[in-house]
Amino acid sequence: MNLQFLLGQALTNGLVIGLLYLLMAIGFTLVFGVMRIANFAHGEFYMLGAFVAFITVKWLGLPYIASVLAAFALALVLGWLIEVVVLKPFRGDELNGLIATLGLGMIIQNLALISFGPDPQSMPATVTGVFKMGSIVVPLSRLYVVAFSAAVLALLWFFLMHTRSGRALRAVVEDIEIARAQGIHAHIVYPLGFGLGVALAATAGALMAPVFSVSPFIGATPLFKAFIVVVLGGLGSIPGAALASLLLGLAESLGSTFFDGSTADMMIFVLVILVLVIRPSGLLGRAEN
Amino acid sequence: MKEETTIAAPAGSGADIEAAGGMGPLRWLALIVFAGIVAVPLFMTSPFYIHLAVLVCLNVTIASGLLMLSRTGQLSLCQAAFVGVGAYVSVLTGTHFAFPFLLSALLGAAASALVAFLLGAAILRLRGVYFVLITFAFGELFRLAMLQAAPITGGANGIAGIPSASIFGFDFDTRKAFYCLAAAVALASLAFLLALFRTAKGHAIDAAGQNPNLAEATGISVRNTQLFAFTVGSGFAGLTGALLASYVGYISPESFNTSVSIGVVIMLVVGGRNSVLGPLIGSFIMTPLPELFRGAVQSQNIFYGVALILILRFLPQGIAGLRLFRRIEGEQV
Repeated sequence: MNLQFLLGQALTNGLVIGLLYLLMAIGFTLVFGVMRIANFAHGEFYMLGAFVAFITVKWLGLPYIASVLAAFALALVLGWLIEVVVLKPFRGDELNGLIATLGLGMIIQNLALISFGPDPQSMPATVTGVFKMGSIVVPLSRLYVVAFSAAVLALLWFFLMHTRSGRALRAVVEDIEIARAQGIHAHIVYPLGFGLGVALAATAGALMAPVFSVSPFIGATPLFKAFIVVVLGGLGSIPGAALASLLLGLAESLGSTFFDGSTADMMIFVLVILVLVIRPSGLLGRAEN
Repeated sequence: MKEETTIAAPAGSGADIEAAGGMGPLRWLALIVFAGIVAVPLFMTSPFYIHLAVLVCLNVTIASGLLMLSRTGQLSLCQAAFVGVGAYVSVLTGTHFAFPFLLSALLGAAASALVAFLLGAAILRLRGVYFVLITFAFGELFRLAMLQAAPITGGANGIAGIPSASIFGFDFDTRKAFYCLAAAVALASLAFLLALFRTAKGHAIDAAGQNPNLAEATGISVRNTQLFAFTVGSGFAGLTGALLASYVGYISPESFNTSVSIGVVIMLVVGGRNSVLGPLIGSFIMTPLPELFRGAVQSQNIFYGVALILILRFLPQGIAGLRLFRRIEGEQV
């Protein structure tokens, strides 16, 4: 157990965790960018994604990749519906919108509790075995997470940069007034932004389901991490989220190598506060007033 | 933190209209009904109902603290953590240094206010949503920290056998006696709010909440006003924590988790976020509600979620925004 090994292992784990946080945080920041609502129900969509993966793999016997796609698609449709039915009156209303998503989160979590019970269930591993590089050992199941997350992020990047709807979304994030004046359809962009954001959370949930266990309570931690990431990176900034989630993943992984998990969490919180005192708009956020 | 300007109360805030409204028959009636409700638990025999009445009083105090912050246009998702700070500080100073209850309760309240002041000073410069996210994170971290500090706080096992409150030799060791104490504190917190919203500081709070840019332009520091409300409101929470610990006799990190904080927000939204009556109505309705759902926590939470969204959508001023309550508060409708 030399230092080089510890560091190498911590960095690799940090990368895996960082990518997971990135999926969560990008979805969160996208929803905030479009709707100006901090979505406190975001973690519950992570949980729903994990359950979709669990059900489709264990009960329906679908292949893993199909289960991830199913989680994404279902969350997109559900998110779209929720936006239109529940959140529409709260578009652009920061405080009331936020409180409404608190209620939404309670509803989703307790429906899951009624349907699935509180006990954690474990999903069969997608792949077994490990990948060895020198003395560093990475379980193949985690490498899957890395590969899938990278693929999802690449697709998202392509969608946002090179498609009409993606450009419309970015225009709304940039400046809603101007975007409206340019003839962007609010009735498509808002539900699309919310649906896509929560679908990313569901994808993260589906990807992590075989690694961790599945229960109605698993959404809380990723939600908490997504908060830290977006606060650190600057709300609404996707590059900021990318930088912050990798930093957070690495810091956590290094921190918990040398301290225990909760201590690492508390140190990171203090660090985040310090960053905000020095740079109130986050690492890469725009200064706004 | 001093305001040179005395601005007029913004339209719709009770203060100046109340003076014009005077004490009409409706308000006298409301006052008598209220006094009756406050007195009822003194004549009840069922310990359970007195217990509920105590909890209502404690919740009124916590929600009143949050109301101040909410009227500045901010929201905290860690009020439970400040209740916890007050509870732990008062219990620990009481057991380790054998401080009398009154002193350790005041120390608990002061500790909560201090923590809120430090946290607020660091993050209230940020845009609204950041503040809410950070307070949410802080609430989680408080719970973690209490679990971590097991040698002092007892960790997940908590602290049991906390002695009941005793002030100047009088023991509040029966439910009824404690109800008197809790009701006195709740009434005092409401009286504080009523008095506050008649002063320049109270008007500054409303101005900051209703139009921050205009408030800044008239010389009110929105940040300092919010910091004041956050600090004082958290002090209320801390004091309630000390009372709660001495009443229940047991505290643990889970007594102060985020769902408790969200519960306070729900009370305030249901009761009304712009009226002093809000915390009162909210606690009165939401505290006994779990009894209707006994054994069905999930349906209860789903009901809470649905009620929250419906109230936000159709009654954004909460129940205190209904015509009857607005007239009781002295607004001419």
